[in-house]
Amino acid sequence: MQEQVLAVSLAAVAAVAAVFAKVLRELQPGEAGWSAAEAAAKLRARLLWGSLVMGAAIALLTLVPWPHAVATGPEVVSVTVRARLWAWELEPARVPANTPVVFLATSEDVNHGFGVFDLQGRLLFQTQAMPGWVNKVSWTFAEPGRYRILCLEYCGLVHHGMIAELDVVPKG
Amino acid sequence: MTPRLSAVRAVPELPPARIALLLGGLVFLLMMVFGLVMKASQAELLSMDPRLFYEIMTAHGIGMVGTAGLTGLAVLWTFLGRHVDLDERVFWAFMALFLSGVVVILGSIFVGGFAGAWTFLYPLPARSGGVWSPATAVVYLVGLALVGVAFLLVHLECARALRSRWGSLARALGWPLLFGGQQDPLPPPTVIAASAVTVFNTLGLVFGAAAITMSIIDILVAGTILDPLLAKNMIYFFGHVFINATIYMAVIAVYEIVPLYTGRPWKVTRLFAGAWSVILVFVMAVYTHHLLQDTVMPPWSLVIGQVLSYGSAVPLVAVTAFGLLTNLHRSGATLDLPAALLVLGVGGWTAGVMPAWIDGIIAVNKVMHNTLWVPGHFHMYLILGQVAMIWGTLLWLAGGRRSGGFVASDRLFFASYLIGGAGLAISFLVAGAASVPRRWAVHDAAWIVHDIPGVVFAALVLLGASGFFAKSIVGLIAVPEERVGR
Repeated sequence: MQEQVLAVSLAAVAAVAAVFAKVLRELQPGEAGWSAAEAAAKLRARLLWGSLVMGAAIALLTLVPWPHAVATGPEVVSVTVRARLWAWELEPARVPANTPVVFLATSEDVNHGFGVFDLQGRLLFQTQAMPGWVNKVSWTFAEPGRYRILCLEYCGLVHHGMIAELDVVPKG
Repeated sequence: MTPRLSAVRAVPELPPARIALLLGGLVFLLMMVFGLVMKASQAELLSMDPRLFYEIMTAHGIGMVGTAGLTGLAVLWTFLGRHVDLDERVFWAFMALFLSGVVVILGSIFVGGFAGAWTFLYPLPARSGGVWSPATAVVYLVGLALVGVAFLLVHLECARALRSRWGSLARALGWPLLFGGQQDPLPPPTVIAASAVTVFNTLGLVFGAAAITMSIIDILVAGTILDPLLAKNMIYFFGHVFINATIYMAVIAVYEIVPLYTGRPWKVTRLFAGAWSVILVFVMAVYTHHLLQDTVMPPWSLVIGQVLSYGSAVPLVAVTAFGLLTNLHRSGATLDLPAALLVLGVGGWTAGVMPAWIDGIIAVNKVMHNTLWVPGHFHMYLILGQVAMIWGTLLWLAGGRRSGGFVASDRLFFASYLIGGAGLAISFLVAGAASVPRRWAVHDAAWIVHDIPGVVFAALVLLGASGFFAKSIVGLIAVPEERVGR
């Protein structure tokens, strides 16, 4: 997903830059065209309505189904995640592949960020580990292997050293 | 329906807001050096103890946010003073409180060793694992409270002056025009913007002060237990509102200065007044996009966070950026360095908002939150947005050569700043897309490839900014030549 997000974002940034550059090349007096009062009002209205339609479409496409939905059912494996300065405790620390796993994350002291990275070092998902609260996040690991867990919420001196591993083993 | 430019006063030649801008420029440079040093450390070009790294990170964060606030407020004060009667003594009191707070904060960081990040996310200040003492955390929080009270003081004075001149904040916000279709006289753009910022930043500061007070009580009174989720909500509400206020204050300079180059006043329409009322609500309501990975939050609040992240970009693109472009297009304006920086400020802000709202999509946030994607977008809309507008304002106020366009040194510094700012922000975004975590003192070997370009681009930003600052000083010392619109 990250590559697509990067591509879309850079394209949007480039579009903004291109529009500004075009206007800056057309500062000298002349035929106003799109920037004449009436034309500009029409263009702006189109921009506003277009933004609203696009926003509604993006909301529908990305909020349904609910991105924080937690897996349920007899197959689900639960993992309790306890964070503390500066270590992770996972119970169990070994889960089967191709099985829905629900992580229940909390902290014994300060806020931490429970981030799970795949075998290529790419962030798969995350949730906050917060004292007094339990955040839940689901994931189904497609590939067996040793996944890294890094802290993604700044938690003090050894934040960068708060690393653990999760073993994903073949199902059955 | 145009603002009555003829009724406004000239910008005052003397302090205090000009001193604040100059001081802010100097602190921006220092904080940029801190940023460069951190990047160089992550790139392993220099060796730094993690403890010092996190202290510098805390200073860089609070220093940049505080200075953005200081300079944004100075812009607001400078130009609002053309439309309402402000009591200058209040700004002096602000400066005294602000600087006292800065001294206390710096002491807590570099003497006491506080490194809890500028966000002071409860309960980290109180529970550092023995790295800094709870007393040090209290000192940091007291320093922050002094700064917060300083801002509150100025906003209250602005509210008083706005009410005194316009009868009510509702009238100053242009609500008779918005809801009734007419208003005479119309509030100028600066008055509408200043009114909106005054309302939302006051509320943000009140929540921030409450969070700071609660955190101090938690440390000083044994047995006190706060709800970390409530504290997180309050802190992010404050932090989000405050940093956004810095940009919404800085854009006032665009409303005031760009029309002097184009000869076209910035029109106040129902759409303009409506956009600012939308901003007033959205800036406050959208803060939950900082808590998208707290699944214990009510789902509706996270939906609001996502939807309004996108929604907040709409008034910026369709009203502010579009308004600037129509004001400029075929105007015959000859841009010089200050004007170009103001235009860049709106462009960079608009560009930076793109990766920001995309990060506000919950599914995207799940893989981008707290990676370097986040500093990627905020460095774009701060370096190329808010800070660019501040440099533009400072250079315009400093006077000097006007407005025969660019000289060679202008081109050098502008290009250096633009390429450096865009490159640094994009290098952060690329690193974020590669899942490099944010706020890590030590980087894996595989991540360093992202850090090295960051060092080069950060150095370019520093070069450009140093040039702007030097030109501002020269401009202030030299006898000003004729200035556009002055």
